[in-house]
Amino acid sequence: MRWIRNYEAEWEIFVVTEKILEVKNLEFSFDTYAGEVHAIRGVSFHINQSESLAIVGESGCGKSVTVQSIMKLAPTPPGRLKGGRIVYRGRDITNYGDRQMEKLRGKEMSMIFQDPMTSLNPTMRIGRQISEGIKKHEKISPEEARKRSVKLLKEVGISDPDRNIMRYPHMYSGGMRQRVMIAIALACNPKILFADEPTTSLDVTTQAQILELMNHLKREFDMAIVLITHNLGIVARFAERISVMYAGKIVETGKTQDIFYDPRHPYTWGLLNSVPAVGKKRTEQLPTIKGTPPDLFMPPKGCGFYDRCEYRMKVCKENDPPSTEIEGGHFASCWLLDQRAPSIEPYFVKRHSKENFGKDVI
Amino acid sequence: MVRYILRRFLISLLTLWLLAAITFFLLRLLPGNPFQSDQILTFEMQERMMNYYGLNRPLIEQYFTYMGNLLQGNMGYSLKYTNRTVNSIIVRAFPVSADLGLRSLALALPVGLFLGIASARKRGKAVDYLCVVISVIGVSIPSFILGSFLQYIFALRLKILPMAQWTTEMHKVLPTVAIALGLLATLTRIMRASMLEVTTQDYVKTAKSKGLSEGKIIWSHEIRNALIPILTMLGPMVASVLMGTFVIEKIFAIPGLGLHFVNSITGLDYTMTMGLTVFFGAFLVSANFLVDIAYGIVDPRIRLAK
Amino acid sequence: MTRDFAGIPKDEFEFAGKSEEKSELLTRPSISFWRDVWRRLFKNKVAMTGLVIILAIALSSLIIPELSSYSYSQQNLRNINAAPSSQHWFGTDSLGRDLWVRTWFGARVSLAVGIFGSIIPSLIGVLIGGISGYFGGKVDMIIMRLIDIIICIPQMIYIILIMLVIGSGPVPLIIAFAITGWMGSARNVRGLILKIKEEEFVLASRILGASHGRIIFNHLVPNTLGIVVVSMTLGVPAAIFQEAYLSFIGLGIKPPIPSWGQLANLGTAVFRIYPTQLLIPAIMISLTMLSFNLFGDGLRDALDPKLRS
Repeated sequence: MRWIRNYEAEWEIFVVTEKILEVKNLEFSFDTYAGEVHAIRGVSFHINQSESLAIVGESGCGKSVTVQSIMKLAPTPPGRLKGGRIVYRGRDITNYGDRQMEKLRGKEMSMIFQDPMTSLNPTMRIGRQISEGIKKHEKISPEEARKRSVKLLKEVGISDPDRNIMRYPHMYSGGMRQRVMIAIALACNPKILFADEPTTSLDVTTQAQILELMNHLKREFDMAIVLITHNLGIVARFAERISVMYAGKIVETGKTQDIFYDPRHPYTWGLLNSVPAVGKKRTEQLPTIKGTPPDLFMPPKGCGFYDRCEYRMKVCKENDPPSTEIEGGHFASCWLLDQRAPSIEPYFVKRHSKENFGKDVI
Repeated sequence: MVRYILRRFLISLLTLWLLAAITFFLLRLLPGNPFQSDQILTFEMQERMMNYYGLNRPLIEQYFTYMGNLLQGNMGYSLKYTNRTVNSIIVRAFPVSADLGLRSLALALPVGLFLGIASARKRGKAVDYLCVVISVIGVSIPSFILGSFLQYIFALRLKILPMAQWTTEMHKVLPTVAIALGLLATLTRIMRASMLEVTTQDYVKTAKSKGLSEGKIIWSHEIRNALIPILTMLGPMVASVLMGTFVIEKIFAIPGLGLHFVNSITGLDYTMTMGLTVFFGAFLVSANFLVDIAYGIVDPRIRLAK
Repeated sequence: MTRDFAGIPKDEFEFAGKSEEKSELLTRPSISFWRDVWRRLFKNKVAMTGLVIILAIALSSLIIPELSSYSYSQQNLRNINAAPSSQHWFGTDSLGRDLWVRTWFGARVSLAVGIFGSIIPSLIGVLIGGISGYFGGKVDMIIMRLIDIIICIPQMIYIILIMLVIGSGPVPLIIAFAITGWMGSARNVRGLILKIKEEEFVLASRILGASHGRIIFNHLVPNTLGIVVVSMTLGVPAAIFQEAYLSFIGLGIKPPIPSWGQLANLGTAVFRIYPTQLLIPAIMISLTMLSFNLFGDGLRDALDPKLRS
């Protein structure tokens, strides 16, 4: 650890588990004029200390809402936590109010957002935006806070931090602003960093840089990272475990190798197939998953992927498949895993061989 | 920032020039000869008018004479108060109007902003509806009607406040409220909209994710950014307060500049009208310019630009 | 929700056919934009109330003066300042004129001035702003700079100056509004057009070879129409207010032609003794302004795509 932490009295008594965050059957809906949108319909996953988990899915599947509802950042007039439990380091924080969450936010868990251009207050200097969080959670002098802000800027790779502390956000590019966001998020050395599509609005080179930075910082600060993305391509080098989300539910979870080499859910197959690969013939059409996700105003009773699944069975229409363990932490929710289902040879592209895994995936 | 200020300054100057030119030409377009209308002018006064306006000279010369006079701050003589210059009237009456205007602003600004913030935060609840009702009514009822009502209720019926004139503190209450209410209504509406817009911004979410308390978020992040659009409206607000003084001074018989202006119109005192128009124009343009500077300072995007 | 998954018969585990059409089916029927706008507008009770009041007043202003036995300028010096009675439903003013007729004729004047005084400047503004925005470049810059300069001075001052010269009355008033009120509209429309010009569908149209006229009618107009209509509607109470204000300071509509502003002005003179003479025009002004504001707000909300359900 680099910083000395001040533990608040209530947090001294905590259960040391491998799992620092556990989400069970989370249900979250939005009440709109047109009815209830069931954004999350029963999501369960966990994070272990200092690991990196990626939550992958297409737009609208509920991945942002999931992490925002964990930190209780989703606006609760239209939004509503319907059910489930969130357990952080042994404590049930599901029903925590704003006051209690304030103690956690920034200090135990923090978040960076998708659009760096709008995520910073345009009328406040960068340095102050970083030290604000520090001052909230720790009693330190302004001078000490300033020093730490300078250090953090250096950590995230911003040169000449002493001068940059006094600058305003509009002077920076997207990549730089995202770095500042990361500095803000790390200011109090949180245990979990939620990264909500942090690279989606950046160009490819900057994307790689930011991901590298995050990896590096993860080791430096010894924290867990939850990376939300719709881009499977960036996930292989970054995540230790992957959860695939579809239509408000997690359809498959497992270690990265399992997902890439032994995926069991037809949606995951579709995702893997549609990642463009070097070496494919130019005349080959890029495979896509036909159709669109189901309407969350009236979520389907059965499997959410039914309408678009190549391998659907009669049972899938009316019955939502339970989460089945395949082996050692690899879970998938699909009726194909049931012993009564016919066995099939899935069509999907194996990314190189298992030996070469992790070296040069894209 | 420098470039910004220069630009605003140039525009202000051009505006003033435009106004002066307009009044010059309008004076010559007035039906008939203003100096031979219903007024019975003595020979000396006619002489004075001729000299001041150079009406015997060619138009171009008249124009330069006029402009020259204006630049020196000389705005001629009143047709009605025959021995007094427009300037002397301005010097006497302006402080009164300024007093009224400042009080109205001092009342309307804090209350309006506060109500706007309150109704945005408690959106959909009782406070919000109340504020929306107040602001809609305040916008729909012209200030002179409101002023008359206030007079009727508080002065005539309840007899707790004086009816007219501008002598004691008690006298100053009703006119101030009459002007302030309309402004307050607009302010509440705008501040509410601005706050609502700011609250949905991403940086508010960032602030929340740091664990900052709600009060701190509202103060340091939301209000600061919500005030910026309000600042741009400050200019028009001052203008509307000015307009308000015209009618309120008439209703409450307050010896301010607005009253003189209105009387000059009904009394066909053209020189007074023109002179006062130029004065008001200059006043408002300067006020707008000051607001522009303030805006440039507050918004760092402008302040730090080259 | 525990279900007995073990109890599902094996034959359920057969492949179901794949239907492509169904997978593309969006489960909510989509409505056209304008139908949605109408629907939302009609549902807005407050806005509809405003509309009803406006129509009621407008209709009354057209019909009632025709039905009355008095004219608006008919004086009767033996019956001045009378209270409301069966002969004079609103009483009489200080010259014995029937206030009922004057109020409703004044409605005609005030509404006409308000409506035309909003529509005409709006149209002028649309034209100028449209030209400025569409053609861009030097034309745009000059027009915008001019507007920047002119707009520093409040419109009322310009109107006062103009009316001093062209005299008073409904037509001069509308002319004054037209000359001085187009700037705001022009700026808005220009901003909108600049934004739309950059949108991809316009670019696509031009690449496909559409003529200027086609682009204007098929793309620019539908997208700006809503906003223009809203600002026209919300401009009416402003115009009514300005007319009242001007009449109050002696410039707008001079007697004997009645307008609400003028009636208010005359009413304030005798307010302390005969309060109804101010109350009636005051209520009419406020009610009408309120109704237009509410309806205009409802219109604006109905057109806001973000509230689409």
